[in-house]
Amino acid sequence: MNKFDPQRTSALVEASLKRRYRAEARFKLYGVTSIGIALLALVVLFTDIISTGIGAFRQTYIQLDVHYDAEVLGISDARNEKQLMIANVDGVVKAAMRARFPEVSSRGDRRALYSLVSVGATFDLQDELKQQPDLLGQHKTYWLLADDDIDSYFKSVQAGESYAGRVSEKQIEWVDALRDSGDIKTRFNRRFFTSGDSAEPEMAGILGALVGSLLTLAVTLILSFPIGVAAAVYLEEYAPRNRLTDFIEVNINNLAAVPSVIFGLLGLAIFLNMFGMPRSIPLVGGLVLTLMTLPTIIISSRAAIKAVPPSIREAALGMGASKMQMIIHHVLPLAMPGMLTGAIIGMAQALGETAPLLMIGMVAFIVDVPGGVTDPSTVLPVQIFLWADSPERAFTERTSAAIMVLLGFLISMNALAVWLRRRLERRW
Amino acid sequence: MSTTMNDTFLDDNANIPEQAVGAPFSDDAKIAIRDVSVAYADKKAVHEVDLDIGRNEVIAMIGPSGCGKSTFLRCLNRMNDTIDVCRVTGSIKMDDIEINDGKLDVVPLRARVGMVFQKPNPFPKSIYDNVAYGPRIHGLANRRSELDDIVETSLRRAGLWNEVKDRLDQPGTSLSGGQQQRLCIARTIAVSPEVILMDEPCSALDPIATAKIEELISELSNNITIVIVTHSMQQAARVSSRTAYFHMGRLIEVNPTQQVFTNPDHQLTEAYITGRFG
Amino acid sequence: MDSLHLDQHISHQFNEDLELLRTKLLEMGGLVEDQLRDAVKAIETADGGLAEKVRKTEDEVDKREMELDRESITVLARRQPAASDLRLVMMVTKATRDLERIGDEANKIAKMAQALNEEGGDPGRGYVELRHLARNVIRIVGVSLDAFARYDVEAAMEVVRGDKQIDTEYKTAVREMITYMMEDPRAITRVMNIMWALRALERIGDHARNIAEHVIYLVHGTDVRHTSISDIEKALQQKS
Repeated sequence: MNKFDPQRTSALVEASLKRRYRAEARFKLYGVTSIGIALLALVVLFTDIISTGIGAFRQTYIQLDVHYDAEVLGISDARNEKQLMIANVDGVVKAAMRARFPEVSSRGDRRALYSLVSVGATFDLQDELKQQPDLLGQHKTYWLLADDDIDSYFKSVQAGESYAGRVSEKQIEWVDALRDSGDIKTRFNRRFFTSGDSAEPEMAGILGALVGSLLTLAVTLILSFPIGVAAAVYLEEYAPRNRLTDFIEVNINNLAAVPSVIFGLLGLAIFLNMFGMPRSIPLVGGLVLTLMTLPTIIISSRAAIKAVPPSIREAALGMGASKMQMIIHHVLPLAMPGMLTGAIIGMAQALGETAPLLMIGMVAFIVDVPGGVTDPSTVLPVQIFLWADSPERAFTERTSAAIMVLLGFLISMNALAVWLRRRLERRW
Repeated sequence: MSTTMNDTFLDDNANIPEQAVGAPFSDDAKIAIRDVSVAYADKKAVHEVDLDIGRNEVIAMIGPSGCGKSTFLRCLNRMNDTIDVCRVTGSIKMDDIEINDGKLDVVPLRARVGMVFQKPNPFPKSIYDNVAYGPRIHGLANRRSELDDIVETSLRRAGLWNEVKDRLDQPGTSLSGGQQQRLCIARTIAVSPEVILMDEPCSALDPIATAKIEELISELSNNITIVIVTHSMQQAARVSSRTAYFHMGRLIEVNPTQQVFTNPDHQLTEAYITGRFG
Repeated sequence: MDSLHLDQHISHQFNEDLELLRTKLLEMGGLVEDQLRDAVKAIETADGGLAEKVRKTEDEVDKREMELDRESITVLARRQPAASDLRLVMMVTKATRDLERIGDEANKIAKMAQALNEEGGDPGRGYVELRHLARNVIRIVGVSLDAFARYDVEAAMEVVRGDKQIDTEYKTAVREMITYMMEDPRAITRVMNIMWALRALERIGDHARNIAEHVIYLVHGTDVRHTSISDIEKALQQKS
């Protein structure tokens, strides 16, 4: 039989066709399955985080009639700063609670009753009095911040779930009474986005960590992008090919794979111990993250520079452009999208980094929102780590909420990267 | 022609002449090339070329792939500098200025000796900026109006003005291949070079675009010396006044184009242009 | 194997195209050669049938001329030949024309043969000169075709020299014809016919020389038309 008989060939092809199609279908199925698994994991993760964390965006408040009794407060002039400082606002809140539940008389019960309202309520009222000194001696109705345990209990009641936490039966009674009279409800938790960390879960906010992250990343970006791009340009365009540059290249590639905690140790040794910089500040955090991000930026920038078509370089050189003109006029603009992508990936990596920052003390409990790169602060992932470690039940939902904020931050950074790419990318 | 009578017709090396046959020298040379060799690392790509490029002539370089014609072309504006391992020896004098001199600044040289490449490579900028790039970096225009003038004149000379005058702000890459190549030529002539080197400028273009470029070449040759490397023998025959044939890194023959294509002096030239084995 | 290496193209088809041109030209040459021989024989032997045959062959020659022209144009259009290939195609088109003209002249001779045949009468005067010239012309036509077949410059030179000789002989013959006419005015018509035949033979010699010159151009690329023999020899000396 002739090997090159077209009829025989087509018969053979026909025969193998089904097998090939089956193999093809199987091959596709593997891919679809993998994507399915990844998606499922993602869905589970998000469902868990969102269902846990969504509660943190609402907070329980209790309505009370507050009497700014000058006697109880122990002050005569609300305009006087000094007097305000020592004013017994706490007493006013307690008095309001007593007035709401007059039947409570024993000391123990009273203490339990007082703990329905958070200490945060005291601070709020103090601020209120400071803003409106005329309120001294007046009555006013407020929605006061509830304690975290009451918050947790009330939210579970609202959701119709059973609750087994740190609330006594008396407290449950009172909450039920408040509920019957409509004096307890949940509102949007503004405090979560406007305040720093706190030991009291109901008062703890994410802003401090968010600003800390922003400052740290700003320092990182400002330092690592120019340094990384300059290093990449030198290595790609100017450096001669010899052992030294080969050595440098290998080391840069290796650095990208070094565990981040090592960079933390380096930062601790150099910036804190050698240069005596303060602990816990975004400046040092940024410096450490710069070291960590540099290899990523250098590698991706070199790749982007390499991807610039040689025809454009030749065109520029052929026109009599100097090497620097060629790089600045043509290579960098064309490589910019790639370099930015690298930088954003590096930034995203830096944003999620915890270990090196622990080493330089950015793990401290910091209540104040940082105002600059030299103020002590913490960052989002560290905050998440701290809250996840806290025993209070209400911190659990705050941890998830913080994760959502972190993810939101990441997504918006990536969106920015995509937008920048679109804007800067040019066809050639 | 008696050489074609012998039996070693297919034996290349036996027939490579010491010196290029024909008329490699000119009385009115724009560029005088003497004993030029090019080596990549230890591999010699061009061997001892002696050649005069006449003033305002169009000289075509033909030869099989890898014969060194492009490498040789790139010596003339020192584009080989960009390749680390490339070493050029010998003397290349343009109007008594030694081009192949390490101390010579290549920036002004490349303004005088422009280059057009095989693939149209406009910058990813607007048509206007493409043409204005050279004048800008060399500081040829002080005012915007002067620059406008240079851009218009260059585009007109490149025969592109009427096609692009209404869309100068559009990217150069939005043009068709032939227009892009003419844009590249406009960009080159915007710095008024004395010599233009063309490295297979039409290899990516269709016959009509090619014809337009060829027409442009003959117009430019009124006051510009043009050295063109081409794989198309018909193109060499159409545009050039002299033709140089390279073979395995050696210049084999230089003669008036008419002679090369009707009655070449060397059998290797003959074998190449008639499509024989060799 | 020939000295122009026409069979060494990378394209096999190109080899065949050129080879076809060459064979067709030689075939046409052979045909014209026969035609010429027949015409001369017709006039010598006063053979009307042979003369008729010559006129029939003329149609065949014309057909071949058109065919060769078409082939040449096809090669030009499809292959854009250069150098020796280009010279070959140009040579073929030109030689085709010359051969066709030779055919025409042979045809004229055949016409004279018929005229002489119809006239009858004394076949004596003028025939010796005619025969002599005809032999030489037939020879150089053959040599010119040989020169082409073998790309033989020496043979081509022989043709060029032969033509020169034919010109001289023609002049002598014409002078003699004039003498005959003066001697016997009644023979003027007949001698005039022979004169026409002589004239046709002389023209054929010129065409043979053209073909030989084309062969020299084909082989050496030197245009030797309108050049004296000594200059041609000098030019060829330089080439080799």
